[in-house]
This record gives sequence, structure tokens and C-alpha cells, in this order.
Amino acid sequence: MISALKDKVGQILVPGDEFCCGAEDTISLTAHVQPEKVVCGPGLMRSADRLQVCKSGVLRHKEPNMFWMDSQQKRYVPTKGDAVIGIVTSKSGDIFKVDVGGSEQASLSYLAFEGATKRNRPNVQVGDLVFAHFIVANKDMEPELACIDGSGRANGMGIFGEGGLLFTVSLGLVRRLLAPHSEIRSDLQQLVPCELLVGINGRVWLKSSSTQRTLIIANLLQCCDTMTAPQRRTGGRSALIDCPSQRWRM
Amino acid sequence: MEVCGISNVTLRDFSCEQSLLSRPDGSSSFMQGDTSVLAGVYGPAEVKVSKEIYDRATLEVLIQPKVGLPSVKERSQEQNVRETCEASLLLSLHPRSSLTLVLQVLHDDGSLLSCFLNAACMALMDAGLPMSCLFCGVTCAIAVDGEIITDPTAAQEKECRALLTFAIDSKKCRVMMSSTKGSFSVQELQQCIAISQKASEKIFQFYRDSVQRRYSKNL
Amino acid sequence: MQIEISPNVFVQRLDGRQTYDYRRIKVSFGADYGCCFVELGETRVMAQVSCELVAPKESRPNEGILFFNIELSPMASPAFEAGRQSELSVKLNRQLERCLRNSKCIDTESLCVVSGEKVWQIRVDVHLLNHDGNLMDAASIAAITALSHFRRPDVSSVGEEITVFSPEERDPIPLCIYHMPISVSFSFFQQGTYLLVDPCEREERVMDGLLMIAMNKHREICSIQSSGGIMLLKEQVMRCSKIASVKVSEINELISKALENDKRARKAGERCGYAASLPRGRITALKMDETLVDMTTVMDTAKEIIQEAAVPSEPSSAKHTRAASPVVPAPGVGQVGLGLENSWGLEEDVDEEDEGKGEEEPQMEEQHHERKPRRGVDVVEISDSEEEEVVILHP
Repeated sequence: MISALKDKVGQILVPGDEFCCGAEDTISLTAHVQPEKVVCGPGLMRSADRLQVCKSGVLRHKEPNMFWMDSQQKRYVPTKGDAVIGIVTSKSGDIFKVDVGGSEQASLSYLAFEGATKRNRPNVQVGDLVFAHFIVANKDMEPELACIDGSGRANGMGIFGEGGLLFTVSLGLVRRLLAPHSEIRSDLQQLVPCELLVGINGRVWLKSSSTQRTLIIANLLQCCDTMTAPQRRTGGRSALIDCPSQRWRM
Repeated sequence: MEVCGISNVTLRDFSCEQSLLSRPDGSSSFMQGDTSVLAGVYGPAEVKVSKEIYDRATLEVLIQPKVGLPSVKERSQEQNVRETCEASLLLSLHPRSSLTLVLQVLHDDGSLLSCFLNAACMALMDAGLPMSCLFCGVTCAIAVDGEIITDPTAAQEKECRALLTFAIDSKKCRVMMSSTKGSFSVQELQQCIAISQKASEKIFQFYRDSVQRRYSKNL
Repeated sequence: MQIEISPNVFVQRLDGRQTYDYRRIKVSFGADYGCCFVELGETRVMAQVSCELVAPKESRPNEGILFFNIELSPMASPAFEAGRQSELSVKLNRQLERCLRNSKCIDTESLCVVSGEKVWQIRVDVHLLNHDGNLMDAASIAAITALSHFRRPDVSSVGEEITVFSPEERDPIPLCIYHMPISVSFSFFQQGTYLLVDPCEREERVMDGLLMIAMNKHREICSIQSSGGIMLLKEQVMRCSKIASVKVSEINELISKALENDKRARKAGERCGYAASLPRGRITALKMDETLVDMTTVMDTAKEIIQEAAVPSEPSSAKHTRAASPVVPAPGVGQVGLGLENSWGLEEDVDEEDEGKGEEEPQMEEQHHERKPRRGVDVVEISDSEEEEVVILHP
């Protein structure tokens, strides 16, 4: 089955496509067979002895045996460990309710901030932007956020967002931005220095030297989904460098 | 009644566009000839307490006619589409949330129900909702002389003796839903199903091609 | 959410527009008359005009009726609910009525067929498909374009008899439209310090006030509406009306060009409609030409299925069961189930077993009954009769 999966890496699959994960046809009696493990990411599901595709997109692979479907979608579904940008919508007692774009609002305890104690409460207002990660997220429970890692450090998380711009892009684009060697990110770095905070829930916060630049980069990023790399580079250059004083439009 | 001339078995030109609306989580427009439908999906989103189901998502399908308010006809089509979608969506993966599928008629020139189904499937795919299989709709009309016409226009629908619409799944080409009008023999029914199954292959290939095209820039 | 306003008057908008810029407007038509699609940036609206012969209003026996209905489809925004009149839909409906009915831009008297008895009711359904701000302008453009595009069937009345001609018999007639009022929206920020034309949805969310001016190309104001409760100065309103007159003439030109194009295409017999206007270049769109379905095996498949599914003929079924013959106990009575062999053989076996066990059962039951009184505090009387195993709890 793994070879069948590997054959399809980088190709388009749609819901309903299946891989049979039954035993190999020929079993070697002499060689010691190590049972192979396959890790299925989003978009792949096991049902009985089959591996089912349940989202349309491109099949991706990571060594040794990790497979997942890369798809463009807009709606975020909370997953444990994801670092997201949320908007605080209400304060009730000891917890804040945070909108992260999922089907349910996530809760964030006031103790889940670095250095917070019962006496020393963090200063959080309704409407604030918060960068946090999920410590509880599954389909049957209310999702829960925290702004500290396992050792109690903030590690870059917490309340943020002075004077920047928050906008949303597709989840596929966010993943491309966060990829270890992201082309889009390196293009952007060459183009203009800016502060960029990316939540995996499709929200991007941006700040650069001037408002106009911020807006140009935001519009550029929002168009990236349907642009090829050369289009992106020429578009960005013409908007930012070649004619900064003229009217620009995407 | 054994005369069953199958000559006019063509599907009109069809086209679709995905992600054309900015607000919905998934959207598509699907055209079969002049028949056009626009579909938008929201979800998984927050659900009203009164509609909450503890172990699966609540799917709501709304069909908006072009003129006036939805009537009984739209309600029954809504139900057909909803049951088909429920059969293919993996609703248990998003319990206590709501999925809303809105279908807007843009032009009715026959085979409207099958166009609803195709637009719905495209929109659900665009929204990235987990599905066990894809589905498509095929409409067959049986003319007075027993001739079977696939994907009939409004004029052909008016003249025919029976009108059958099937939803076909992509895995095994099984019939997921059928909606029929008029009278027909068992043999004609089986022929129509067989034709629809054949025609569905074309539509599924089209689905795959359009997804391929869509992801062509980040393969 | 964040409108950045630099210290000087120079305002930067989220999508890079200037203060007085409209977003891209695209007007296209459906396959039948009176159907119009308008795209205003990401905002999308569809209008469909239809007509019907009805009795006129008693107060106006010589006038046709104009009816407007704006549908806030839940497709446009998750906040919209289907089939519910919200504050926004009432507001939009009212504004559209004032813009198009009260401005008398359509000759309603020409819609009269028989005075006091039959007039045309023109119904305009506006469907909002995607909400990205400035719904009113998009709706007003769509509605007036659809009305100009619409053709009603020709009628003739001889004495009492009214004949409606189909489009094949006589060419349908366009409505008599005197002028085209178009609404232009202005949003105000910081109590009127800043002004933006054609606000998008994010701008609408933070605006303080909204001014809608409906105007025709002759610079006649057809309706004016200010909402949001801000105090506007006379100069501001004057300036807005000047901007509106420029915008209206631009949009008017666009509409007449679109109408002309469509007319030419229809005359030339070209294919028109939504399907024909699909953008080809986009990677999200795909078209497939008319295809023939391969039918070589269909007949055989259908035959096979029917043969497989055919009712088994009698000889084969007689092998294991006697042919079931319906019993007719009395003339006129049909009965099924009596005199037939019971196929639920397993059930019967179970029953027998139960009976076999049943002999040992009573003892156990007695023990069971005896135990109960001890548990309860109250007196329990056990009935002697075997038929009713009822435990009575005395209070």
C-alpha cells in the first residue's frame, strides 16, 4: 500500500479514492518483516482495511511514512498544538472567550499567560488579538487555548497587535507561508522588511514601515493563492518598488 | 414497449467555477447547457441550540428560486439534495456544528435537480468538508416513443413521458437518490440507471479535471 | 476593522482605492429577458423581473403595479436568515422602492390592460449572493438594468376578452422607462470628518453614518437617505450630490453599453446568459463541451440486471418450499399468512426452549418475590393469584 501511496504523491486526489491496506501479495517467509507504520494526516481516513481520501487536493508525503492531503479551504477546524490568532470576544469569570474562526469559540484561562497568578492578572480586553496554541482540541470538547508552553514560557505567544493589519487568507496559503523553506516568505523578505505573524487558522497580522506598504503586502498576499511564483514576484515589485507613488491595484 | 431507441445520449456542454464568492467557505457555480446554479456552503460553523445534534453536524439545504419565495417543489428538492449530501458527507467528524448549503437557481433550462446536485458537490469539495465519496446528478427523460434522452432541456422535459433523476456515487457508481416523475417500465428504469452510471463517469472525470486545474499552480 | 487614516487628508483604503473610487462594476445578463447580474467588487447581486396580470389597486385603476422584493439569501452572509424579514432587508427594500417606484421612472399607466380590471404587475426579485458591502448600490444597478432589459408579452383586449401572445406570436414589449435612477452610497467616519464612496464590508462595519443619494443622469435627485445618526453639514451634502452626479453618469453609460452589447448579441443569435459569460481564464473555472456518452454496453447491463432481479420462476422456488397458495376463507375475503409454511423456523425453536425452561422458573420467581419485601420498608402484599404478578405497595 505504501508504494501505491508513494506513486500518487504530488498528484490530485478526490474524495472516494481508496488505497487497499491489506497485506502484501507475497509474504517472504525467510526475511524478517518489520510491520510498517503509516501516519495519515488530514484528508486521509482509515476504514476497515482501506485508506480513504476524504478531501480533494494534492497528496503530500514526508519521510518516513507520513501522508496527508494538501487542500485549499477557508474554514478552520481546531487541532491540538496549532498556533492561531484569535480575537477576544468576551470575559466571563476566569476565562476569556476567543474567536478563532472555528465552529465554536475557544476558551482561554487567565492563568494561561506567562507569569500570571491569581493576584497578577494579565491585562486582556475584549477585542484584543491573541496569539495562542491549542492545548485541548477535539471534536467532542470545547477547544482550549493557552499562551504558555509546557515550561510556562510565553515563547512568543500572548496579546499583540499594536497598529498592524489583520486579514484572512486561505488555509492552504497559510501553510505555504509557514512551511520551513517557504518561497513566498523569502520573496517577501527580499521585497520589503515587515513584521509578519501567521496563525494557522488563516489569519495573518502584518506591520511594516508605512501604512501604504502594509496594505500593498496584504493585498499581494491575498492574491497569492492564484498566482504563480513569477507572477507574484513581478506583481510585488511593480507595486512596491517600481512605482510606489502611483496608484496601485491588484 | 420493447422499443428503446437510445440515440440521443449526450450531455450538454457543462462548465463550473469554484470559489467564486468571497464570503462562503465554499462556493461553486455549475452550468449544464443554459441551466445554471450557484451554490454556497458555510461550515462547520456555530449551530443553534435548537438544531444541535450531539454526534454529528446539522446539514441544512436551502434552495432559492429565481422568482418569489420557496414553495413545496423547492422543499422537496431540498430534501433530495440534503439526503444525498448526508449520505456522502462524513458528518460525524464535526459534531455539534452546522453546515449550510444554499443553492440559487440562475437559469432553469431543464435537468435542474441534477444541476443542483452537481453544484452542491462542487461547493462541498471547495469547502474542504470531509466526504466519503463524490456524487453527481444525471437526469434522463423518456420520450413518448420510448427514446431516452439524457440531460434534457426544458422543452424536452415538457414533452417527455417520464423524467428520472439519479444521484450516483463516485466509488461504485451506485444510485444514492432517485427522483422520478411519470410512468415507465422496469426495463426503462434499469436502462436509465445504466445510462446515468455511464454518464456519471464523464462528470466525475470533469470534477477531477477541474480540481487538477485548480491546484495546477501549487502542485 | 482598521481604517488607517494618516494625519493629512490623504486616506488609504484597504483595497488601494482612492476616496471617491468605485470598485470594479460588471454587468451581465441571464439567458432570458429581465435577468441581470451585477458584480461590484466582490459584492454580487442578481435581479430577475417577472410579470403577471392582476386586478389593479382600487385607488389607482389605470396604473400597473411595481413590486420589489430584496432577498437576503443566507448565501450572501452567514448573518442572513432565510425567509425572515430583518431590519436590513426592510431598509433596503424601502430604499429601492423609493428609488425606483416613487421616482416615477417607469410609466405605470402603460401597464394597464383593461382599466379597473386587469393591469400588469411587474415584480422585481433581487437576490443578494455575496455581501461585501454597499448592497444598496449593487441592488439598484441590478434592478434598473433588469427592468430596462425586461420584455413583457404583448396583449390585446377585444371587448371582454384578453389575449396574451406568446413570444413566438408577437414580439414582447419593453417597459417604458423615462430615466434610470441609481443609488450612490457615501460612508462617513469620525463624525463626518472622512468620507468614502462605495464602502466595502470592512469599511461598513466601522462607519459612523451612511448617506444614500439616488440620482438620474439628468442630475435629478430621486431619493436621499441618511442613516447612522450623524450631523451632516449642508456643504457635505452638496459635495456628495456633486460626486453622485459624476458617478451616476459613469454607471449609466456602463449600463447602456451593456444593454446595447446584449441586444446586439441576441440579434446576431449568439449564445447569451450566465453560462456564456463564464470567465475562461481563471484556474478555478473549467468548461467541457457537449459529450457523447458511450452506450455500447448499456443495453446489455440493463438486460442483465433485469434478468437477475426477475421474480424467480415457480419451479425453482418449489424446491424448498411448497408453492404458497392464498387461502380464501370466504368469497370476497383475501388473506395472507394462514396456511402458509412459517419461514421463521428459528423463532419457534426458541419458543419451545422457553417452555422447557418455564417449568423450572416458578421457584426462582418465588425467591425473587420473597426478597423484595425485605428491601422495602413498607408492607408488601404478594398476590396469591398466579395470573397477576403484581406487587402492591401499601402506603
